Amino acid sequence: MTGKSKTSVASILPGAVTLVLATVYLIVLLRVENQATILALLGVGIAAVVMANWLGWFASVGQSFGEREGPLGLLAVGLAVVVAGYFHGDHFVLLLLCTVLLYTLATLGLNLQFGFAGVLNFAGASFFGIGAYTAAVLNEHTSIPHLFVLLIGGGMAALIGSLLLLPVLRTRGHYAAVVTIAFALLFKTFLEVNDLLGGPQGLQVKSMVLFGWSFNNNIEIGSLELSFYFAYFIASVLLLVGAFILVRRLERSWIGLNLDALRLDETAAQCFGLNIVRWKVTAFLLGNFLIGVAGTLQGFVTGFVQPNSYTFADSLIFVSILLLGGIGNPWGVAVATIIVVIVPEKLQVIQEYRFLLFSSLVIMVLLFRPDGLLPRSVRNYFPGWRP
Amino acid sequence: MKKLDILAAVAVGLLALSASHGPTTAKDKVKVGFIGSLTGGTSANGLGGRNSADLAVRLRNADSKAKYEYEMVALDDECKPNIGVQVATKLAADREIIAAATHYCSAVAIATVDTYHKFRLPVVVWGAVLPDITYRNKYPEVHRVNGTMINQNELNASLLTKLGYKRFAVIHDTTDYGKGHFKYFGEALSKAGGTILGSFGVTSDQQDFTAELTQIKSLNPEVIYFGGLTPIGVRIRAQMDRLGLNNIVLDGTSGIKSDAYIQGLGKLAEGSLSFLEGAPAERLPGGKFFLEKYNAQNYPNPPEAYGAFAFAAMNLILDAIEAHGPDRKKVQEALNKTSKANSIVGEITFDDHGQNTVPIITAYVVQDGQWVVWEDSEYAQGKRKLPGQK
Amino acid sequence: MDLGLLAQYVMNGLMLGMMYALVAVGFTLFFGVLDIIKFSHGDVLTVGAFTALATFIALSALGIESSVVQLLVMLLAAIGAMAFLGAVIARAFVLPLRSAPPLNTLLITLMIGTVLREMVRLFYPDGANPKPFPRLLPADSVNLGGFNLRLDNVILLVAGALVIVCLQLVLNKTKLGLAIRAVAQDEETTKIMGVNFNRIVLVTFAIGSGLAAFAGVMNGLYYNEINFGIGLYLGVVGFSAAIIGGLGNIYGAILGGFLFAALQTIGAVSLPFASAYKDVFAFAVVIAIMAWRPTGLIPEKTSERV
Repeated sequence: MTGKSKTSVASILPGAVTLVLATVYLIVLLRVENQATILALLGVGIAAVVMANWLGWFASVGQSFGEREGPLGLLAVGLAVVVAGYFHGDHFVLLLLCTVLLYTLATLGLNLQFGFAGVLNFAGASFFGIGAYTAAVLNEHTSIPHLFVLLIGGGMAALIGSLLLLPVLRTRGHYAAVVTIAFALLFKTFLEVNDLLGGPQGLQVKSMVLFGWSFNNNIEIGSLELSFYFAYFIASVLLLVGAFILVRRLERSWIGLNLDALRLDETAAQCFGLNIVRWKVTAFLLGNFLIGVAGTLQGFVTGFVQPNSYTFADSLIFVSILLLGGIGNPWGVAVATIIVVIVPEKLQVIQEYRFLLFSSLVIMVLLFRPDGLLPRSVRNYFPGWRP
Repeated sequence: MKKLDILAAVAVGLLALSASHGPTTAKDKVKVGFIGSLTGGTSANGLGGRNSADLAVRLRNADSKAKYEYEMVALDDECKPNIGVQVATKLAADREIIAAATHYCSAVAIATVDTYHKFRLPVVVWGAVLPDITYRNKYPEVHRVNGTMINQNELNASLLTKLGYKRFAVIHDTTDYGKGHFKYFGEALSKAGGTILGSFGVTSDQQDFTAELTQIKSLNPEVIYFGGLTPIGVRIRAQMDRLGLNNIVLDGTSGIKSDAYIQGLGKLAEGSLSFLEGAPAERLPGGKFFLEKYNAQNYPNPPEAYGAFAFAAMNLILDAIEAHGPDRKKVQEALNKTSKANSIVGEITFDDHGQNTVPIITAYVVQDGQWVVWEDSEYAQGKRKLPGQK
Repeated sequence: MDLGLLAQYVMNGLMLGMMYALVAVGFTLFFGVLDIIKFSHGDVLTVGAFTALATFIALSALGIESSVVQLLVMLLAAIGAMAFLGAVIARAFVLPLRSAPPLNTLLITLMIGTVLREMVRLFYPDGANPKPFPRLLPADSVNLGGFNLRLDNVILLVAGALVIVCLQLVLNKTKLGLAIRAVAQDEETTKIMGVNFNRIVLVTFAIGSGLAAFAGVMNGLYYNEINFGIGLYLGVVGFSAAIIGGLGNIYGAILGGFLFAALQTIGAVSLPFASAYKDVFAFAVVIAIMAWRPTGLIPEKTSERV
């Protein structure tokens, strides 16, 4: 790696090429049904990644993303739409893509809490569930426009999360972890025994309606028929892009700096006059808001909410995604979500073994690559400057 | 950019690979679906149903007169509504699947009906007994070959009150299944002249019931009515013993009619009751035929209580496809019109909600480690007495 | 309330409390020596219970029918195997992460727990289903009004209490116990004094995991059933109990265990809503206690080193 910075088109190329290749790979993977072929395909994928890593390809990709994130982000969005367009009539693939996007969105929220502010949250799935249940209840009993329902879902997650603020702020480390774990268990049991919210049976969520148009109808443009999940897909993309920009802005602002200081050494940060409580509260609530919004849309997408979808094990999946992706790196999170959501769905052989597989994978990562698959890069204070 | 070329080449190669096709067969292939609880506490019933549906498909494929070659895709709902909706979506979104036989667990079946309606997939329920599955909505896609829980609770209440029991305590799981049983049993019991002293909703993965049972002890009932499935049924009966509640009858529903209940409890299972729509497989019109064929396949598990219904459900679907071709809409219309169709569980007629009428209910009691039809048992003959029987 | 029924509730609560306390003590031991939370503890309990069950099946196949012999061999096999497993986990996964952030240790043990649980579910024959656990203790009972006093319950309680007393003696009266307490108090000084730090850590993990195996067998004998999920629940409850009591203090753990059982029993009996809310109530109280006393009822004495 040279210390020289390149702001020309050349620096964007490694990132763009990788994105395009990844997209082609994803389309092929989603397309193939034969189990042996999928297995071979995954093997090739892993081999390619290992090889690219060995050839030092990812360093230039990382640099490319570091310098030209804006255009690359646009390209990623465009490619996502291409993937969805390719599968425009295939309900199930689109449903999978929506799940990937919304899990990524939720993990961005966790990232804000843990990756930036160092606040542990082992109840991610619970806040996700709060959003989904909000969608179910508001949709059934009120006629609040659904765009607002999304915001209210996020708001509810933040509000209920604020009940945990006192114990989370007063405790540290392990003790803070137990607060969120206890909440995750409490939340699921509460949903199960509560009659008003459908008990273990859960609730149906009616179709999303935006501007007088129901999302649950297949879309017909001329002779082209799109799956109704396509609309949800577009909505998920828009939300994710919004959240991504928000998180990136936060990270690069002085708020992000404060959060970094807070995470790395709370005591020292306090000595320098940072208001620890304020930043912890901000990160925790904002994170829960994002998770809640993702959950609300997920509620609409699946059309059904049920306590067993929001268990402690699901929260652990969120944490695993964060960890696999590399704490603090939103791009890594997106890659990790694709692995965690799509691979077991395509490879039926491992469906049954998915928890075993992912937990083993996380153990390996913790032992041998503790910063995650794609670690967060060092803060880039001066554009183009490299240490 | 050398590495890039390699990557591109690999991707192109794989694209080519994925486009290749397998060899074609003489008959057209048609896919049908099956969903049941293949893992978890109620897996015995799910696997029995899966095998029975599979048997129907195998027999059809062996039949040279059949127009199509069938392939059954079996998915596991784990008896959990959220997983059920997931796999139902997967099945229904696959356009190659024409119809499916679905669900043992009522809690799952009631959750998935909207999915089938949304995707227009015709299904025949083979084991879930909650009335709402067919009666809450009027979805033309949803049918059911087995009966509902209303009739079994009527027989349950009348049999127990005739035996002289008047004071009941109720434990039910808090799914729609358990709540449904509680509701219909309560209605039947008040007609029959018994009283419910107290009711306790419990979660379906609860481990410890001593608190609930101690409260029941203070109510001093003669019977504990249990509306739920085998796993917690086993726990409740075992913990009744621990608290010395052996002079109380455990009065179960179709949910505990499984061999797993007896295996889990050993001697403690003696005298537990259960009620089931239809007759034991060997007494069904085509029961002998079914059991012979089933045993010939050497499945590792028995067909269990609802196997015969799963077999009948899958046969209905296959008949409809044979007659009208692999088309969801046509199959659904054919199923809707099913009337006096011959099957191993007797004649099947769907009403305007797609519900079959199964008039027979059979009561069972555990006697010497077996579920025995009540009328044939030594309890009915007076040789043995249920706990607290006068 | 009827005195007999009250006694029955107390008995129910004591049985639960004893199991919780045994698990909580394990958490406390690990936290003492390494300042870490070992979240796989509950699942070690599950594996222990299944080891005992497998041993029982093997013994029955060999034609050994005496329930005393069966029980002793089962306990030995389960405790021995889990002590070994505990030490292996410490050696292979926990000690290598000594210098990593504490969260990584927490996560790795959570994931090891998941791996153990999934292995039981997937690889124990028919492991996804609840398994009947043999009734090996005499089931004689005396009926005292509303209270059914069972011999096996009494045996289990006494055995649990004995185990805790023994542990207490080991910690306070032996050289090994002295070393464990010394490591818990000040690692560096202890090393300078010539204590083999790694060995003490491994022994402590072996002891704690052996306790979990004992609790697993106890759980099986009490409910006459085990399933792959028991450890997850008992682990979280035991952990909450240890936290309420204050980590790093075995009296706190025991107190926490019985307190949690008491909360559940009270929640089931005397709250105005359905008994199913008892866990919601218990966990809500745990969160409230954490807000009130952030490091537990009997707090550890620490100060932040900067």
